[in-house]
Amino acid sequence: MCLWLNFEKNCVATLGICTNKTSSILTTEAVNRPFLYPVSKTCFRSRTSARVKMKRSKGGGDEEAPRHNGSAGRRKADQQQSDGDEGGSDIGPADLQDDDNDQGLRREIRSKYRDLISSVQQNREDMLSPSNNKLTEVLEEANKLFKDVRQAREAALDAQLLVVATDLGKEKASQLFSEGTAFDPTAFAEHLLSFMGLNRLEDDEDEQQNTANGYLPQDAWHRLARRAECCFRTAPSFHYMMGSFYAEPPPPKQRIERQRKAPSKEAKRIMPTQLKKMEESQQEATEKEVERILGYLKSYYQDDPTSPISYYEFVIDPSSFSRTVENIFHTSFLIRDGLARMYLDEEKLPCIAPVEEGEVEAGGSTSRKQCILSISPKIWKELIDAFDIKDSIIRPPNTQND
Amino acid sequence: EDDDATFTQPSTSQVQRGLEKLTPAQVDQKTAEVVQYFLVKDQKKMPVRRADLVKHVVKDYRNIYPEILKRAARTFDQVFGLKLVEIDPKNKMYILVNNLETPDKASPVSPSNPKMGLLLAILSVIFMKGGVVRESEYLIWNTLRKLRVDPGEKHEEFGDVRKMVTDEFVRQRYLEYVRIPHTEPIEHEFRWGQRADAEVSKAKILEFMGELHEQDPKTWTQQYRQAHSLPNSSQASTSSSSQR
Repeated sequence: MCLWLNFEKNCVATLGICTNKTSSILTTEAVNRPFLYPVSKTCFRSRTSARVKMKRSKGGGDEEAPRHNGSAGRRKADQQQSDGDEGGSDIGPADLQDDDNDQGLRREIRSKYRDLISSVQQNREDMLSPSNNKLTEVLEEANKLFKDVRQAREAALDAQLLVVATDLGKEKASQLFSEGTAFDPTAFAEHLLSFMGLNRLEDDEDEQQNTANGYLPQDAWHRLARRAECCFRTAPSFHYMMGSFYAEPPPPKQRIERQRKAPSKEAKRIMPTQLKKMEESQQEATEKEVERILGYLKSYYQDDPTSPISYYEFVIDPSSFSRTVENIFHTSFLIRDGLARMYLDEEKLPCIAPVEEGEVEAGGSTSRKQCILSISPKIWKELIDAFDIKDSIIRPPNTQND
Repeated sequence: EDDDATFTQPSTSQVQRGLEKLTPAQVDQKTAEVVQYFLVKDQKKMPVRRADLVKHVVKDYRNIYPEILKRAARTFDQVFGLKLVEIDPKNKMYILVNNLETPDKASPVSPSNPKMGLLLAILSVIFMKGGVVRESEYLIWNTLRKLRVDPGEKHEEFGDVRKMVTDEFVRQRYLEYVRIPHTEPIEHEFRWGQRADAEVSKAKILEFMGELHEQDPKTWTQQYRQAHSLPNSSQASTSSSSQR
């Protein structure tokens, strides 16, 4: 594994570490800049020598850690003088063995490294700010972790963290030397939010908070888009004035809330696509119909809760095949939403029953089973004869849409 | 692409001879077809490839292609106030931009596209940061998150944000999302796309920055210098000057 870190211009160090060779090459041109923490002062001596130690413990060789020119900086606040050979840590062979094999500890270390890396990445703008020393803190944390590093995997993560941290260090340095005001993306975002008309809440006085409370108005992005028009020389798009059809789907309408738990994230995503496909009036009509059918099911069930309701008797309308199909369609919504359930009775015939109020569990832990029903006029007639269905349980709606 | 490789630009004398064999009406008709093709393609802001243009529209008239393109460019300019711009001399791609000055205020009549607002935010960040932003810095995504747009979630207005930024805007050439070589794992960086270079005024963006931060745009000296450098230094060349 080879790790090269370069700083430009006024920045600190050029260094390279080759761990696949027998010696580590490390040159630092350390410049004593108090705010440039990475690399030159703190980390690499200890890391280099620890790697050498790892090689030794694996019976690798008898390399010595090289002499370093450059700073004699230390990685801890207590200014211990440490020889490169010893690596600044007193661990005997026996300890190496145990720590090496402790999988839990290994995992923990790797996980902590990953957390550190991700925190540097997520809070990059924060760390860039010259007003704090968060970058130093991260590096000190990394130093602590490194003491327990024994295997290549962890060292690789350590190296990755250093790459990220030194990258940040470089940028911090360049900020100091660039002319003009630095660009602060956080402030930019805040100003944009105000521009877009963010309505902040009354009690928002906490300046430490990075995220503003409040809500964006509906036309927030449109406001920004209109301002963008003044910066863009976009060619206006050509459209027919009176088009032959409106290609865009209509905006999704709010679904009528039904008795169920708040929709899970999946449901949130499924909803808009479904709604977009249906046109408005059909959408409402379907829902009304489904509710109506639920009503029939419940009242029929309440009449005699002990006797099972045959599914076929429930959905079939002996006077109209198309109404039967509609009933099956609408009933399937009840099943899907967990408001009704289907089961087989002793004779393996399908029955349907409403789900009790307390049992309602949309998308809950019950395993979902799906099946596809098909029905043809021939089968429909056979069912009518077999079950001797004279009347439909589900009354046709008053307004026929056939 | 294959079509384009076999398409050799006819010489001026070839064009002359080709024109002699056609009536003016025929040439006008073909020019009009090319204009309409461009206008429709521009609806989605997708660039037009020369290969497609020749294959689908110009067809048999390919021997007078340069003349047709020249006339189309003139039509765009004189009739529509648009400029035909070649954004990629190597791959021969064209776009249409507005030839008129950017307005001081948005047009009250035409509906605005909210995606342009998001694009403005992204382009501004990239510009203020010197023209390149590595994705691994999370700068772009973090800024969007602060604006209540989370690339990990489906957004109310924009849908799949990640796809919009790294795919749609890139195909439209507003952004460039390129792989940084020799990175493992693969990393990308964001830059302005060729369309942005042609369409978007850096000076105006800086002006907007000044308004937002209540500062004089000149305080960002490096960006100011870049925004007010020679007018054509970062602009794509027009088709009339680089027909090749």
